[in-house]
Amino acid sequence: MHPLLQVLLDGLFTGAAYALMAAGMALILGVVKVINLSHGAFFTLGAYVAYVLAERGVGSPIAAAPLAAVIAFAFGVFLGKSFVNPVRSHPFALPVGTLACALLFEQAAQMVWGPHPLSIEAGAPWVGPGGLVIRRWGVIAFLSSAALLGGLKWVLSARPGLPLRLIAEDEEIACSLGMDVEAIRYLTFGGACAMAAAAGALLSPSGAVTPTMGRAPLLLSLVVVIVAGMDSVAAIFLLSIGLGILGNACAWFLSPQWSYVALLVAVCLLLSARPAGIVALAGRRD
Amino acid sequence: MTVDSVPLLRLPRVLSGSAALFLFLFSPAFFAAPCVAAGRSETLKIGVLAPLSGPYAAGGTSFVQAATLAVEQANSEGGVSGQRVTIVVGDTQGRVDVAKSEALRLVSREKVSALVGAYLSEETVGVMEVAAAERMVLIVPVAATAEITDKVRQEYDRYRYVFRVGYSLPQWAELIAAFLSDRKVGRYAFVGAGIRWNLELGETLERIAAPRGITPAYTAFYSPGNPAFDTVAVAAAAASPDIVILADPGRNSVSFLKRLRESAPTLPALSIGGALGDARLAASVPLSAPVYVQAAAWRGLSPSATAYVERYEHRYGAPPVGYSDTLPFDAVTLLVAAWRKAGSVESAVVVPVLERGAFPGVAGTYRFDGSHQALWGTGPGALQGTFVRWERGGARIVFPPR
Repeated sequence: MHPLLQVLLDGLFTGAAYALMAAGMALILGVVKVINLSHGAFFTLGAYVAYVLAERGVGSPIAAAPLAAVIAFAFGVFLGKSFVNPVRSHPFALPVGTLACALLFEQAAQMVWGPHPLSIEAGAPWVGPGGLVIRRWGVIAFLSSAALLGGLKWVLSARPGLPLRLIAEDEEIACSLGMDVEAIRYLTFGGACAMAAAAGALLSPSGAVTPTMGRAPLLLSLVVVIVAGMDSVAAIFLLSIGLGILGNACAWFLSPQWSYVALLVAVCLLLSARPAGIVALAGRRD
Repeated sequence: MTVDSVPLLRLPRVLSGSAALFLFLFSPAFFAAPCVAAGRSETLKIGVLAPLSGPYAAGGTSFVQAATLAVEQANSEGGVSGQRVTIVVGDTQGRVDVAKSEALRLVSREKVSALVGAYLSEETVGVMEVAAAERMVLIVPVAATAEITDKVRQEYDRYRYVFRVGYSLPQWAELIAAFLSDRKVGRYAFVGAGIRWNLELGETLERIAAPRGITPAYTAFYSPGNPAFDTVAVAAAAASPDIVILADPGRNSVSFLKRLRESAPTLPALSIGGALGDARLAASVPLSAPVYVQAAAWRGLSPSATAYVERYEHRYGAPPVGYSDTLPFDAVTLLVAAWRKAGSVESAVVVPVLERGAFPGVAGTYRFDGSHQALWGTGPGALQGTFVRWERGGARIVFPPR
């Protein structure tokens, strides 16, 4: 088997990990309409929950994800109700406030677990035809991101998602129809935080668990959602996969140090071509 | 807007509580006791420069923990002529500009008597300028770039206050080459974080290992901020080396090793830079092939090394990694010993003592050459360091042969 095939497959898995993070970010940006810079902290929280459970003999990140999601949902609802909802009308205050929350969480994590990296056993990968290595965490990331984004797409297009769609389109009409817009906003915020924590728990065995591990996924998920446009769940998934493969291909053909630069260049080009997001290229966005 | 009014009315109460706490924490009253204690003339201060935040916070924390342990030991032995020794820490954040400003703060405001640090080579080269300008002794524990001791050799009068306890890059490369030769390695892959000492060490190792018939099969460096682990691991395995040398002092080393194990389960790996000396990390990595770690000292190397490891583990709950903690411990121990021998903390008196003396530490007995570099290497009388191999239940020293 040519190593390039392995590199591209790994790129697909890396992209799936971006998509997993971006799902919650899309929900917050689309419905609550705020930039949540504490999203990465919830990713980190999920990873620490997985680590604590692994220390107590529950080594499977799939088992840790629901608990991480519940804890993050509670924190997210609290944050949404006590801070995001009251402050969201001030566009500059909210990113600064959520960034402060993220830094506060990082400091708290450092005090509780220390600055040293922690690690969970990743488990042996599966070996496919021709010696192709199918990384366990990659499969989990791919399946869970597809399921999460697929579920999100279904919810948004079906009857249960009507309030979310309506609030995303026009909050005043939603209010006039008697919807509790505030409650839906903070519950959505909590749900998105739960998604980030579940992503952190699921991906925790792939690397090291540290207080600042959520920063890189935060940036990438934000980039994916803004470039893809918040209206199309499929675009978010496909763009994430595309960026993952592009990053790995650049690392292979150019240099590993250039992969991140290449990603950002691609993002800048896409944004300069279509500032409203790539879905607008197809005319589905105004 | 009326919907928002209730939470907005509540917010100031939360903020007022936070503001009160903030004002208390940063009030003169909160800092009064430490300031008074620090200002007492019978206390000798050592300025310790290490990254306590940023990507190298883990190494920096170990650095400070070990320095703390060293001054505690010094004080339990009577301090320096009856004076207690304390450390004052400056957080360098892994950045050159911050390292320099923190060094200046420690010298001018904290009135330290000597500096120990910094962590990265880039930071340390910056701090050297402060030490030279202030004519203050600077003990360098871990930064390995050749530039540090080259400057001492080339401009002795200006940089004579700088001494390096840790190994220089050529010395480090010699130690690694001797280990590779012992393991009968012909081809190696050199990968790691794209930071200065790695780039220089890769080149130096290639030059020093070549006469032994050891050549690189693959060399690559990833960005510490967003590393392309998968590609580097796949490419390193595809090059079919006998061993992969992983040069990364940060958290990424365990992530990379996991990828490497998935791509090539039977390929041995050697970790340098200390990160995989952490038993908690090593326990999560498959040992389907040898995982070696290079360290300045390890439990069992000598009675003093074992005693140090046990004290560190007892105090901090985990054993030291043998690099970013052990060398700072020896740096502080050596500085205090020099102060005792000199009977003074004045740089002009301490420098000749450091130049001529022999100072026992955890890694062995330190002596400095003409460029103020501690003697590490494979020759007689040199500090040799050690290489250990992780096994289930702990690590075993495999080199040098004992």
